Formats: sequence, structure tokens, C-alpha cells
Amino acid sequence: MAHDEVKHDFHLVNPSPWPLLGSFSVIVTALGGVTFMKGLFGLEAGTWWLLAIGLSMVIWVMFGWWREVIKEGRVGDHTPVVQIGLRYGMILFIASEIMFFVGWFWSFFEFAIFESARVGETWDSANALYADGLSRFAGWPPVGVETFDPFHLPLINTLILLLSGTTVTWAHHALQHNDRSGAKLGLVFTVLLGMVFTLLQAYEYSHAAFTYDGTLYGSAFFMATGFHGAHVVIGTIFLAICLIRLLMGGMSADKHLGFEFAAWYWHFVDVVWLFLFAFVYVVPFLVYGG
Amino acid sequence: MPMDEVAIDHHDAHDHKPGFFTRWLFSTNHKDIGTLYLIFALIAGVVGYTLSGLIRWELAEPGIGVMTQFVAGEGDVAIQNAKHFYNTVITYHGLIMIFFMVMPALIGGFGNWFVPLMIGAPDMAFPRMNNISFWLTVAAFVLACISMTVPGGPGNGFGGGWVLYPPLSSTTGHPGPAMDVLILALHTAGIASILGAINFIVTILNMRAPGMTMHKMPLFAWGVLITAVLLLLSLPVLAAALTMLLTDRNFGSQFFSPAGGGDPVMFQHLFWFFGHPEVYIMILPAFGIISHIVSTFSKKPIFGYLGMAYAMVSIGVIGFVVWAHHMYTVGMDVDLKAYFVAATMVIAVPTGIKIFSWIATMWGGSIDFKVPMLWAIGFIFLFTVGGVTGVVLANAGIDHALHDTYYVVAHFHYVLSLGAVFGLFAGWYYWFEKMFGIKYNGVIGGLHFWLMFIGSNVLFFPQHFLGLQGMPRRYIDYADGFATWHMWSSIGYAITLVATLIFFVGLVEAMIRRRKGEANPWGEGATTLEWTLPSPPPFHQFNELPHVTNKGGH
Amino acid sequence: MRHLLAALCAAVMASPALAFVPQDGALGFQPAATRIAERIHVFHHFVLIIIVLITLLVLGLLLWIIMRHNRKANPVPKKFSHNTLIEVIWTVVPALILVAIASQSFPNLYYQDVVPNLQQITDKSDKLIADGKTAQQERFAKDYYPEAAEKGFVNVKAQGNQWNWTYTYPDLVDDSGYPLEFVSNPVHVGISADADNYAGATGRTDFASKPRNLGVDYPMVIPEDRFVRYYTAAADVIHSWAVPAFGVKTDAVPGRLNEGWFLVEEPGVYYGQCSELCGVNHAFMPIEVRVVSQAQFDSWAEFMLAGDYEAAYATVDVFASNEQATQFAAKQ
Ligand code: HEA
Ligand code: HEA
Ligand code: CUA
Ligand SMILES: [Cu+2]
Repeated sequence: MAHDEVKHDFHLVNPSPWPLLGSFSVIVTALGGVTFMKGLFGLEAGTWWLLAIGLSMVIWVMFGWWREVIKEGRVGDHTPVVQIGLRYGMILFIASEIMFFVGWFWSFFEFAIFESARVGETWDSANALYADGLSRFAGWPPVGVETFDPFHLPLINTLILLLSGTTVTWAHHALQHNDRSGAKLGLVFTVLLGMVFTLLQAYEYSHAAFTYDGTLYGSAFFMATGFHGAHVVIGTIFLAICLIRLLMGGMSADKHLGFEFAAWYWHFVDVVWLFLFAFVYVVPFLVYGG
Repeated sequence: MPMDEVAIDHHDAHDHKPGFFTRWLFSTNHKDIGTLYLIFALIAGVVGYTLSGLIRWELAEPGIGVMTQFVAGEGDVAIQNAKHFYNTVITYHGLIMIFFMVMPALIGGFGNWFVPLMIGAPDMAFPRMNNISFWLTVAAFVLACISMTVPGGPGNGFGGGWVLYPPLSSTTGHPGPAMDVLILALHTAGIASILGAINFIVTILNMRAPGMTMHKMPLFAWGVLITAVLLLLSLPVLAAALTMLLTDRNFGSQFFSPAGGGDPVMFQHLFWFFGHPEVYIMILPAFGIISHIVSTFSKKPIFGYLGMAYAMVSIGVIGFVVWAHHMYTVGMDVDLKAYFVAATMVIAVPTGIKIFSWIATMWGGSIDFKVPMLWAIGFIFLFTVGGVTGVVLANAGIDHALHDTYYVVAHFHYVLSLGAVFGLFAGWYYWFEKMFGIKYNGVIGGLHFWLMFIGSNVLFFPQHFLGLQGMPRRYIDYADGFATWHMWSSIGYAITLVATLIFFVGLVEAMIRRRKGEANPWGEGATTLEWTLPSPPPFHQFNELPHVTNKGGH
Repeated sequence: MRHLLAALCAAVMASPALAFVPQDGALGFQPAATRIAERIHVFHHFVLIIIVLITLLVLGLLLWIIMRHNRKANPVPKKFSHNTLIEVIWTVVPALILVAIASQSFPNLYYQDVVPNLQQITDKSDKLIADGKTAQQERFAKDYYPEAAEKGFVNVKAQGNQWNWTYTYPDLVDDSGYPLEFVSNPVHVGISADADNYAGATGRTDFASKPRNLGVDYPMVIPEDRFVRYYTAAADVIHSWAVPAFGVKTDAVPGRLNEGWFLVEEPGVYYGQCSELCGVNHAFMPIEVRVVSQAQFDSWAEFMLAGDYEAAYATVDVFASNEQATQFAAKQ
């Protein structure tokens, strides 16, 4: 009879300090954040060092944790069945991210559709006002808000993201066929395109005719596109780390889960952008500007 | 399933347990993490229970006289402070009971302990992530406790109810940092739960032992699976709403600020889109536990297993499209209300299937009234009482009269405090020996049950009458006409206090006497895989995976 | 049949004595003062009977099982785990019960929730009379009060503030065109000054007779037998305007204007309380509504517009003493 000889392929992870440290750094970050925003424990609002300490601890933990994961992957802990599990995990994580964006779209649509139901009229009168379909968008964006022309920078950004979606697929294919230089090249392009997108978005933000705190439209616009932007940055970093691992000789044709996850994540960011482009940029522009 | 049909050859595995600190602080072992969750839930439960004691003590008679003793100032100043203090007490009572007692106990505690055991897995899919789910829950609790003690606005802490409605929760109502800390606490709890949910789903989908098909999987695992899906899909929406609230408070956005054209009611939609699935998150694992107990002690297989599983699936699905039944009075369009009435009532059908299937499982059985079975039978009856008042509230036409009255308080304590918590105690006594390897004293357990059963009914049943007479919720002081039933309610609390003390006596007694537990104390009725292992199970179970051969598992 | 059941329930649930304040030890609703509340009660009792029967069924089955299917009475457990027929039954029957509930629920909901169109009411009633359908007309009149419909709406806006209510009557305007508007303050806020209020320190003698935590200094006043259309709004945070005897409760949400309606036939004093947590004094922003005759209402309005609040109050202070209140209750 087998004693504690493990006869299955699942991954029994060794005890690890990272979760505890991670939670501790979350407490520091949260308290640091509130201190920065509001002042806490006698510290003035604007005190930034507690937040900085917290965030650097979070980054340290993430680094240490993922380094451990990569190591485990290398020594063969990620058996086929564990890989399936990791894939499910990533898909579920992206599913929860999608629900997160549902929140932003929810607020944007609610504001767009029920603009005048909120500003002092009753439901009945508002419904009568918007008895016919698309003209519900009338009054949105609110009068006086000058929106972006979707067919300038936003369109370029759309093309950039779509292009980056193809380059990441190129890199993936190359890697699968053990064409490492092709994979590196494809990834370099993807990371660069991601960065260009972020730069263009930053440029666009700095030329906005509305602000985050001034108007409802601004709040909803910047929240939705801003969180998307944050995801682009995270995705870019994710891809960049894959690039570094590739350059350092990591990943192989048949084992590159990290790369696959980065690519999935990137596609998810891509698709979210398409929705943003359609509903946050184009539709209000057509209804309002057209 | 009968045990001899399962390949068992791992009973004598040597346990290589790590040292104390490594074992409990850095744990990657699902059973240890489950135990940590249970201890945490116990502590948080005592805190939440103490807060509810303050509520009942204050409401025992008209006038403001109890909360004044816990706040600064004298006379009228103390009274003024007490009013805010009361609001914070009910707020943190609700939040702690939900996020730090029921969820960690049912999902984190029992889920961690028994989902892997029941499906024949050696551990959870992501053991290290499992640990951060736990420690983030602790972090969230620490943050919530801090938030109780820092300035909120009118006083320390946030006093706007667990539903956090703006503008009371925005700078208009609570300008101080307490609310910001609370928002981040809930963000943290949310992240913990999302990670936990991913872990459970992957474990259940990917790590079932050979032969353990989905349709043979024990119902507790089903319950946790559906719970996890609900968590995964509903919590991010709450996170979005909380983030909007945070930026409204600190960075001048206007989402919920009417002055800027924003809409406070939108927060309610976002909140309840999470909040309603949340109530099923709290009950579905309990449903699973009850199924096993009923079958074990009736010595009969579960009646209508597939119907039971899919009833839970449909409760989960429908649970996503009924949220606005909490908002009938906000000024919704009447057609919309009509839709939510219909959708909400539909949930009674799958829930009824569960109730009747439990009864049918017992029917023809040879029932042993051991302590877990007492709690399970109590659950079935009391949950029915709470469920049918839910159907009353589902009718917007009646809810206009009952919304935000004690009728609602009675409803949700029947399904939560007498539903989810009864399920929790049922599971506690059912698995106590398995988890800790020692036996509890059945007489003390029975006494705990009976006192709790009587006490909580005396506590919450009169609240229906209060609600019908129009007693509003979240009131520190009430019109004289509500005095009698409030007094009874507080007497009921006193009875549960005795019950809870007895619970702890039983716990201590078992720890002192250390009667050695058996692998399967319940006999032929207990057929799920955890009973094939010794009590407590080895540090790493199923080093060789069991083969599930018969039709059972449930 | 339904009336019988309703009466039965009313006998069990209703409370005797004063009609308009919560009754100690009462088991059910406060007596209905509007048709809305009446219909709520009837419908509620209908649902109540159903849910009590369901609960008793579950309880009965459990007790039966406990007695008959325990280890002693039934040493050998049966092993069945399926029975398609019974499963279909316990799926379909509850569904049918729910359909039955819904069939009552929707008409009731639409009745109370949709502010009626008074012109349509008059027209329909006239038509029924013209067609000689008197029985039908009577039933219609019970819900829709054609006579009151002819007089139009009395409009009132209730604005929630931390922590009192501002009432506005947009149709009652003074010479310069400003509508009648006044603040309605609680007379008890849980502090020691409440005792002074009892003693009449503010010069008013009637505070002493106001029920604790329910009375206000200047109540909202409306005429009897008139359609009242109320709006709710809020200045700061969300409040909720609710009067249990009317069966109405409508949130007062900042940035929104919600509406509702009711019609009270019996004059009297009716109390309600703020029903959405609104901060420190949430328990202390009661609602007092005085329903008086049209003549009293008119003179009240005149005094109010003239700024003489005390005189105005005197004209509606007809229920000050408990005797009158009891008389009123007895009338119910
Ligand atoms: C575990 C938690 C839990 C559960 C399971 C439920 C279950 C249900 N709840 Fe409850 N509910 C809460 C927790 C829960 N609720 C909480 C916490 C609140 C208040 C939140 C707050 O405001 O703070 C609340 C509030 C609440 C409201 C809002 C009230 C208000 O604020 O005005 C409504 C309205 O529709 C409602 C309805 C229901 C319904 C229809 C069910 C159904 O799922 C019940 C179904 C069960 C049965 C019906 C019994 C068994 C069935 C049979 C025996 C079959 C035959 C029955 C029939 C044909 C009727 N609930
Ligand atoms: C799971 C949820 C839960 C539970 C268990 C309870 C339990 C209790 N609740 Fe609570 N309650 C809420 C959720 C819960 N409540 C919520 C959400 C609100 C609304 C808040 C708001 O308005 O915003 C509320 C509000 C609320 C009010 C209304 C306040 C008001 O509106 O002014 C009252 C008043 O009596 C009350 C009383 C009680 C009492 C006396 C108990 C208990 O004392 C009953 C007895 C229960 C126990 C004895 C269980 C103890 C458990 C343990 C000790 C843990 C055991 C753990 C393990 C074994 C691992 N509660
Ligand atoms: Cu105003 Cu509560
Ligand atoms: Cu709900």
C-alpha cells in the first residue's frame, strides 16, 4: 500500500508567505489610500507615503508570487491537468472582469437613455417624451458638452487595437511553430501598439472639452474609457513580461500558458474597446452631432 | 455510496505537517484553510451577535436609554450621539453577519473542507490563492472594524445601513473617512470572494475523481458551485458601484450626485443586482448541507437528486433578474414593477421543489434524531416560513405597505438567521467529528438547538406584527404602540443568548474531553466520500484518487 | 366568499380602539383609511391564507414524518428516490398558486400605482349610468369615486429634509403668486426638550396630546373625499413619505419627483413615519396628515397663506382630544 506517495497529477503547493503578506499590504494600501484622499489617524489629506509603501508592497508581493509560479511551471508542476485548471481559472477571471465593465456600461446607458427622466420629470412624462426608439438618446450627451469626433483619434485607436490583436496572434502562431524570433517580433509590435494606444488616449484625454468632475457625461466617459485604459496598461505589461521571458529563453512551443493568458487578456481588452467605441463614441456622436 | 464500492487505500498515509506558524499562516491546505475560515467566522459571528444584542437591548422598551451608555457626552448630547451610534450598529451588524460570518463559514469553511473531500480531490485547484482568499477576508474585516472607529460624519463609523445608499453614503451624508475605509473593506472582501469563487469552480470542474460525473456529484458541491458562479458574476458589479461611490466622494465625479445630474437610484440598481444574488449565495450552500443531513439520518438516498441540483441552478439563474423587488417604492415604472413581481414569485417554484424533495427523502425513512437532523428539520420549517413571507413581499402592491418595515426584517431573519445560520449549525454538528476528530456532547447540542429554536422564533415572529402595524426599520426609538412586541422580541434575544452560551459550553466540553471521533459516526446513511476517510482526515487525502463506481455520491 | 374571508381575517387581524396610531399588541395592519389600503388588506389576507396553509402543510408533513418514519416506528428504511408524478405535482401546483396570487396582484398594483385620469373616470361613470348598468357603476364608483373626480386633484408636494418635511400646495397661491409652503417639524426628537413640549412650553397646548414620536407642529392638511395627488422630493438624502393607514409609501429621492395618489373618505388624524434611513434623526421625522371638511380646508388654506399658522391650525384642530379621536375610531 502506498504511503504518502502522491499518485495523481494535481499540484499540491508548498506553504507560502505571499498570501499573508499580500493581505497585509492590501490593508496598508487601503488605509494609505484613504489617508491620501481624506486624511486619517491624524495624518493630513494628501499624505502620500503610506499609500506608496502599500502599493510597493503589493507590487513586491505580486512579483514574488508570480516568480514562484513561473518557477513551478519550469520544474514541471504544471501537468496537463493543472494546465486545464489554470485555463479555466483565467477564463473565469476574464468573465468577472466583463461583469466589472457591465457596471460602467450600465451607468453610461442609464445616463444616456434616461437623461430627462432624472432631471425632475416623472416617469410618465419622460416616457411620453421618448416614445420612439433611438431618440431616447436625445439630450445625451447633455447640451453644452462637446464630445470627441469618433472618426479621428478614436478610429485610429480602434485600428491600432485591432492591429495589435492580429500581431499577438501572429506571435502566438510563431511560438507554436517554434519560430522564436517571429514570436518575439510579433510581441514587440503588440507591446509597441499597446503603448501607442495608451499615448494617443492620454493625448486625447488632455484635449477633452469636458472634465471628470464637471459633468455627468465626463464622469461616465472617463470612468469607462479610463478603466479600459488601465486594462490596456496592465495587458501591455503582461505582454511585455512574456516578451522578457521569451528573450530570456523561457516558454516553449508546447508550454507557454503565460503567453496564452496574456493574449486572451489582450483580446478581451480589444473587445471591450469595440463596445466602447460603438456606444460611447459613435452612437452619441451620430445622434447628437448628426 | 456504500463505502466498499470506493477504492480506499490511503487511510494510513503519514502526515507531514509543517510547523505551527508555517502551517497556519502560510497554509496551502484546504482543510487547514477551512478551519481558519470557521474560527474567523466564529469570531466575527460573536461580534455581529453582540451588535445585535445592543440593538435588541435598546429596542426592548421605548425611549433612548442604552446606546447612550456607549457614546461620549451626557444628557441630550449623549442622546444625539446615540442616534448615530445606533445607525452604525445596525449597519455593521448586517455587514458583519453577511460578509464575515455566514459567507466565510458556509463557503470558506465548509466549502473548503468538504468540496474537495466530497469530489475526491486531493486539495483545491489553487491552494495558494485559496489562502489569500482567507487572509483578504481577514484584511477586509480589519478594515471594516477600523472604519467603525474613525470619523464618519455625524460621529464615528458609517451609519447608512448595509445597503450603503447614496447620498447618505456620499459626502452629503457621511463626509468623513469611515465610509471610504468601508468601501475599500468591501472591495477587499469582494476580491477575496471572487478569487475563492474561481477556485471552487475550477476545483469542481477539473478535479473530480474518476467516475465522479457532474450528475453524481454531491449536492453540497452543487450548491457551492452555483454559489461561486453567482459570486463571480455579481460581485464585480458591486465593485463597480463602490468605485463610482468612491470617486463621487473623493474625485468629484457625479454618478450618484443629483446636483450634477447623477442618479442615486442607479446605485440601488447596481447594488441589488449584486445584493439579490447575494442572498442566494448565503442560502445555496445551506441547501446542500441540509440535503446530506436529511439523507444521512433518514438512511435513504436523496429524493429527486437531479431535480434538486437543477432547482438550485434555476434559483441561481432567476436570482439575477429579480433585483428590483427591493426597490418597489423608489418610483419605478409600474410595468417594470409588474415584471419584477412575476419574476420574483417564480423562484418559489424551484424552492418548493427543494422543500418537498427533502420531505420526500425523509418519507419512508428510518429517522435518527441526532443533533444535525434537529437543525435540518428546523431549517426546513423555518426557511419555509421566511420564504412564504418573501412571496408576500414580492407583490409590489403589498410591499408598498410593508417595505422598510419590520415585516421585511422578520422575513430576512427567518431566511438568514433561522435559515442560513440553522444550516450552518446543522453542518457544524454534522461534520464536527469529521473535522476535529473529537465527539461533541449530544445532550448539550440538543439543548442548544431547542433553546435556539424557541428563542429565535420568539425573537423574530413578533416582528411580523410590528411590520404590519407600520413599524419602520432602522429606528432607534418608536411610537408607544410598538412596545409590546418589541419587548417580546428582546426576550427572544435573551433566550438565544443562553443558547449561544450553551453552544460554547458544548465546544469547550468537547475540547476538554477529547472523545476520539470515528471515521463514520452516522452509519449506513452517510454515503459521501468524506466518510470514507478517518476523522480527522490525513493532512493530504486521496494521494491515490478514489474511483467512484456506483451511481451514488449523493 | 372573498368578503367572508376578508371579514374573517379582519376580525383576527384588526385592532380595536384608536384608529390612526399604532396599537400596542396588534397583530395586523392599521385600519384602512383609503380604498388603496382596503384593497391591500384584502389582497394581503388572501395571500396570508395561502401562505399559512402552505406552512401548515409543510409543518404537518414534518410532524407526520417525525412520528411515523422514525427509527422506532420504521426500522427498515425504504430506498425509493424517484416518483415522477409527485414531482410534477409539486412543480405545477405551486406554479398555479402563484398564478392565482398574480391574478390578484396585478390589478391591485396598477390600481394603487397609476395616478387615475379623472376625466376618464367621469366619462366612464357617466357612460355606465347612461347604459343603465347601475350595478357595474356602483362597483366602479367604489374604486374610482366619480363624484370626487369631478372636483379635480388636490396637489401636494412633500419634500424630505434632514429632518423634517416641507409641504407645498402648488395650486394654493398667495397674491404675489407664491404657492403655499410650510415646514412640518416633529414635536419629539427623543431629547429632554420633548418633555417641555408635553408641558406646552412652546405656547401650544396640544403637543401634550400628540402621540410620542408621531406628532408634528404643523401637519399636512387635505380635504376629505378628494383625489389627492402627492409628489415626493428630497433636499439632501433619500427619505420616504409613508402613511400606513393610507397604504402609501413613496421614496423622496433627491433629483427626482415621484408621484402617487390617494383619497380619504373619513376625516381624522393620520400618522406616518419617514421610511428610508436618512441619518441621525431618521426616527424623528414623522408625518401627520389631517383630513378635514372642504370648508375647514379652505379656511385653513386662507390663514396659512396669510401667514397666520396658529389660526390656521386652530381651524383643523378638531381632533385634539382623545375623546374626539375615539369617537372617530368608533365611527370606523
Ligand atoms: C438567505 C437569504 C434570503 C432568501 C433565501 C430570500 C428569499 C426570498 N426573498 Fe428575500 N430578502 C433577504 C434575504 C433573503 N430572501 C434580505 C436580506 C432582504 C432585505 C434586504 C434589506 O433591505 O436589507 C430581503 C428582502 C426581500 C424583499 C424586499 C422587501 C422590501 O425591502 O420591501 C423581497 C420582495 O420581493 C423578497 C422576496 C423574497 C422571495 C420571493 C424569496 C424566495 O426565494 C423565497 C422562496 C421560498 C418559499 C416560497 C418557501 C418554500 C416554497 C414552498 C413550500 C412551495 C410553495 C410556495 C408557494 C406556492 C408560495 N425579499
Ligand atoms: C446573516 C445575517 C444576519 C444574522 C445571522 C442576524 C442575526 C440577528 N439579527 Fe440581524 N440583520 C441583518 C442580518 C443578520 N442578522 C441585516 C442584513 C440587517 C439589516 C441591517 C440594515 O438595516 O442595514 C439586520 C438588522 C437587524 C435588526 C433591525 C435593526 C433596525 O432595522 O433597526 C434587528 C433588530 O432586532 C436585528 C436583530 C438580530 C438578532 C437579534 C440576531 C441574532 O442574534 C439571532 C441569533 C443568531 C445567532 C445566535 C447566530 C450567532 C452565530 C454565531 C455566534 C457564529 C457561529 C459560527 C460558527 C459555528 C462557525 N438585525
Ligand atoms: Cu427621513 Cu428617514
Ligand atoms: Cu431580493
